[in-house]
Amino acid sequence: MISNRLSRWTLLFFACALVDFVAAQGLILAGVTWPLRPLWAPGTLIAVHLLAVGWLLLLILGALFQFVPVITSRPLVSQRLSLATLAAVQTGLLAMVGGFLGVTGEVPALAPALPAGGATVLLGVLIACLNVGKPLLRTRPLPLPGRLVLSGLGFLLLTVTLGLSFALALAVPAFTPHLAPLLAGVGDHVLAGIGGWFTLTAIGVSYKLLPMFMLAPEERGIPGDCVHIAGTAGFALALAAGLARIWLPTRMLALAQMTGYAAIALAILIYLGDVARIYLTRKRRALELHNKAAVGAFASLGLATLLALGYLGTARLSADAPMVAFLAFFGWLSGLGLTQLYKIVPFLTWLSRYGNTLGRGAVPPRVQDLVKESHGYPWLVAYFVGVLMAAVAILLGRADAFRFCLGLATLATLGLSLEYWRAWRAHYVGSRTPVAVASRFLHDQRG
Amino acid sequence: MTEPMTLDLREDLRKGGEPLPRILQAVGQLRPGQSLRLLATFEPLPLYAVLGRKGFGHRAVRHAEGDWEVIFSPQGSMPTQPAAAPTASDMAIALWPKPSASLDNRGLLPPEPMVRILDALERLGPGQVLEALNERDPVFLYPELQARGAAIHSEKVDEGVRLLIRRAG
Repeated sequence: MISNRLSRWTLLFFACALVDFVAAQGLILAGVTWPLRPLWAPGTLIAVHLLAVGWLLLLILGALFQFVPVITSRPLVSQRLSLATLAAVQTGLLAMVGGFLGVTGEVPALAPALPAGGATVLLGVLIACLNVGKPLLRTRPLPLPGRLVLSGLGFLLLTVTLGLSFALALAVPAFTPHLAPLLAGVGDHVLAGIGGWFTLTAIGVSYKLLPMFMLAPEERGIPGDCVHIAGTAGFALALAAGLARIWLPTRMLALAQMTGYAAIALAILIYLGDVARIYLTRKRRALELHNKAAVGAFASLGLATLLALGYLGTARLSADAPMVAFLAFFGWLSGLGLTQLYKIVPFLTWLSRYGNTLGRGAVPPRVQDLVKESHGYPWLVAYFVGVLMAAVAILLGRADAFRFCLGLATLATLGLSLEYWRAWRAHYVGSRTPVAVASRFLHDQRG
Repeated sequence: MTEPMTLDLREDLRKGGEPLPRILQAVGQLRPGQSLRLLATFEPLPLYAVLGRKGFGHRAVRHAEGDWEVIFSPQGSMPTQPAAAPTASDMAIALWPKPSASLDNRGLLPPEPMVRILDALERLGPGQVLEALNERDPVFLYPELQARGAAIHSEKVDEGVRLLIRRAG
């Protein structure tokens, strides 16, 4: 059965992730927060974690459960563990949302829910690391995408552990006085999450997906190794120095932190050059929509990196960090996610529906028939236009304009979600698809 | 680096000669690290397994119809990486018949190579062999082939991944 190589729960991860993404955008549109509100405001904490844990963490973990067996040719430890991760992360997140209302004084009785939720998310993450870590660690030599994912998983553990430490320091300060100073490291928590975990992992996944659907060489040679080494070392140095500075504010550590930032920027710029090389050396001349639109995500990454470098040069980073973080979150990571889902959802749907009928008389539709690019195109354009304009609104300090522009991106997210749903239901190929086969994805595959 | 030893079997093969003793004799005369350059009228598939067991990797180039050049090198100097398939043993492949059909799937986007291979396989008779050259390792194809009882051999070559698939007999 082809389902041996298909991750049983990946599409459910994607569905939950999209619900959380829309919920987060809905909260921001409802006026709960916006990027220039203080980070410690309850609405900001809730929206940011719905985005980071609900949307991006579930999206990337769901993708890894499918992706790691493909790059390692080894199975996950267990499909059921994937479902355990989904349950733990999603329920942990809900508890965290309550906990944020508790620790910020809105509903004080809910404060203990924050560390409880954080611990549940950590449990889900540990299960996921076990599930994908075994095939990754047993593969020798591990290809570049796998190495980047391994680095990313290390930073994921750091991010979640830091987050749980913050939760304990905030919710039960009397019992954890030694954790209180760590709260000054919230910027490192954000950097470890957006950068070390999400960005390195997204780079790893893209190094497999981009060449695969553009028919470009997968071997990335020295530039690929540089991205991996400079990126991993850069984030490790910047985070270690940043956290150490909480207790030892020395110039040497500040210098080490800046060196780390420089290595990160170098890794990202080499990566973007390498991505350009993948596009230019592709054998498939006609680009599919998801790879055309992904240029918006790469442009966002480049813009965020250059802005961060510029702000660092003028020592304005902390003031302008919200705009850089917004571009990284919405333009780069979410943009890449939404564009690649436009290919991954139909591809996995096609494999699950038609894989076992191939060569047996039935003529299956093509993968590209499961989507209608003329329907997806306006949504993807609207998404990136909305995000870019919203970033400008942050720069101008205009909350109303920001919400209007983000509204466009939210509308586009909903439109794209409908297109993913239609792909999964084989809406565009109509009666050629037996419904019984469709339901197999969630109900009838081997665990 | 040592020059490879060249063995031209084309004339001999056209006359219907049995080349294996000459090849094994030549292999026995190779110096440590030296490669064997074989010129033949067809791609000597069974030989890959035989010399593979002796520790030789291979690289084959078809110059024209009926004109093949294959270089066998001691592994380490030019290793062939096994692709990530559950492969049939070399011994079994040596006994397989010559491929009855051949597919060049380069330039096709996934999953088109898989569609073509499974379609072509259905047209083969029991026990017949299909040869396919793919851009990359078709990871989603392997479980499907196993489910149909087909045996698979795959190897990475310069142009991509070369697959030999034998339909269940």
